[in-house]
Amino acid sequence: MNKAVNPKMNIQSSPAKRRKRVSLNQKKERIGWLFILPFVIGFIAIYVPVIFESIYYSFVKSQSVAGAGNIYIQVGFENYRYALFTDPDFFQLLLSNLSELALNVPAIVIFSLFLAILLNQKMIGRAAFRAIFFIPVITSTGIIETINIQASLVENMQNLQQLEGGTTGITQSATEQILQVADISRLFNNMFIGRELIEPVVGLVNQVYSLVDRTGVQMLIFLAGLQSISPSIYESCYMEGASEWETFWKITIPMISPMILVNLIYTIIDSFTRQSNSVMNFIADTISGKKGPDGYTHGTAMAWIYFLFIIIIVALIGAIFSTAYVFYQRREK
Amino acid sequence: MDVFTKPRYGSKVKFEGQLSFFQRLRYKYLTTYFLKSFILKIVRFVFLLGVAYIIIFPFISKIAGSFMGIEDFVDVQVKLIPKNFTLDTYKGIIIGNKYWELFWHSAVLSVGLGLIQTMVAALVGYGFAKFKFKGSSIFFLGVMLTMIIPHQTLQMALFMKFRNFDILGIVSLLSKIFGFAQPNLIGSPIPMILMSATGLYFKNGLFIFVMRQFFNGVPDELEEAAYVDGAGSFRTFFKIILPISIPMLVTIFMFAFSWQWTDTYYIGVFMPSRANFQVMADLVKVPKALQATGFAGESAYNKAILNTTGILILLPLVIIYLFAQKTLIQGIERTGVTG
Repeated sequence: MNKAVNPKMNIQSSPAKRRKRVSLNQKKERIGWLFILPFVIGFIAIYVPVIFESIYYSFVKSQSVAGAGNIYIQVGFENYRYALFTDPDFFQLLLSNLSELALNVPAIVIFSLFLAILLNQKMIGRAAFRAIFFIPVITSTGIIETINIQASLVENMQNLQQLEGGTTGITQSATEQILQVADISRLFNNMFIGRELIEPVVGLVNQVYSLVDRTGVQMLIFLAGLQSISPSIYESCYMEGASEWETFWKITIPMISPMILVNLIYTIIDSFTRQSNSVMNFIADTISGKKGPDGYTHGTAMAWIYFLFIIIIVALIGAIFSTAYVFYQRREK
Repeated sequence: MDVFTKPRYGSKVKFEGQLSFFQRLRYKYLTTYFLKSFILKIVRFVFLLGVAYIIIFPFISKIAGSFMGIEDFVDVQVKLIPKNFTLDTYKGIIIGNKYWELFWHSAVLSVGLGLIQTMVAALVGYGFAKFKFKGSSIFFLGVMLTMIIPHQTLQMALFMKFRNFDILGIVSLLSKIFGFAQPNLIGSPIPMILMSATGLYFKNGLFIFVMRQFFNGVPDELEEAAYVDGAGSFRTFFKIILPISIPMLVTIFMFAFSWQWTDTYYIGVFMPSRANFQVMADLVKVPKALQATGFAGESAYNKAILNTTGILILLPLVIIYLFAQKTLIQGIERTGVTG
């Protein structure tokens, strides 16, 4: 009875054979590492050291010593204290930037969703509209942003006319000329709504160009999401007699809620870190030494404060939305 | 005559209960349903037209300004259509700012870096999407981190990294042993190539993320079939997966290309003085031949010249975009960025 041992046990317990054999999972694991190797190397060899170095710079102060050039001395949280309490503009700018974005980010997301729904319907010239609406994605970065794409020409013509007419001093931007903001604010004023409500709306209308400019990627993400909803769901809805309005709130919104979250986070990060952002400009100016001698270390500290600020906001919004409002389709895989 | 012969082709035969032409017209078009959808369609079209106008208007005004003669800038009557049509602005910029030379440099840089970034994003995205292993989620968090931290934060540290180039102390050790100075890579395109090849360049995190989402949507059965036929992982990737993801790759390449084409930040950090290798960023200045001072429209004139440089920078992008548009939108729609 004792001698009847399962022969398979012997093979498995022999150490020499087990070491050589690599299971399929282990093999796949190794190949996976090979695929992500470029990023792993870059992350460990370049990115992590750079981040640590940048954090180090935010805790030091440079001092020139005769004969030895610049040396760095540690000052603890001095730079952070300077950025938050001593610098007259930074904290104010941070707060005003936040309040501005609190309005702009929902506006961009809602507007891009609206456009995506419109462009998803069958209509004349759909391809042309899509092509046009995608242009800002390519043009609203880098150098084109710095050239100031606003229609300077129209601005100038306005100035010239005012010169002739004797009313100098007031210059209207091109977007104002397009929309005649004065009319909109007058309309609201006549409706007897509080000024606090009017101002943000007029502000939004004022910068409609920059808002439209920033909806490109979000719109495409929404389009992709809308097209992934199965048409049979809509069909069954119409069979049951649901109106378009009901279908929108009961089907479309829940089905694309993951995309709403993605877009929300993308928009926040994009708005905070784009080159035309006022805080980013301020930090860049400080780092390049335009605001004072200790610019570099101060600027780095500001940048880290700003970055923490972004992370906290993104994490908060992600946490709130993903638990409360996002509907995940259960998939069997 | 026989009543039951077939009517001749084209002649109208009335059946019992059939409506007349005008009645049919009325029932089709004079209903609230039709009216409602018609008005909705018109409103939608006008709205989209308006938004399209907002996007396109700056380009129209820029193009108009680029053809205006110098006299038009002090003429009140001239709005968008130039009175003195001229090509001098273009001529001055193309010759004075050496447009073709810059074009060539930018093209080489953008195509090269774009190809590297696309390839790396595809490889890394595939690795994250199809292979589950310990540590992959940590490095994916790393990808997200590179997306969130703006590179301006790291500007000085990045500069210093490539100023005294060193990888984990290996290069400095070698330089001490063999007695050569630590290499200074600032002023050469090597830092940009290195960062592209490791997926750390401008918005490369986004590219990796998008590629991963795309490969997540590719059915596993495709690869399993290839494995059964005896292909290895890399062969499967290059022979099976890459060909079906061409629209996606074109999309990523277009993004990488156009962002590098209009880039001022990275070229400013890594190649601050580029006397021999000027790129599109150096086109934005008023050429000597067009300099004019001391008249009322001076600032507008200078602005129009700068805007013309903007047109010249954008023109190649727009042409490529028009050709690639179909593949591009197809690629973006296929990402299926779902949660």
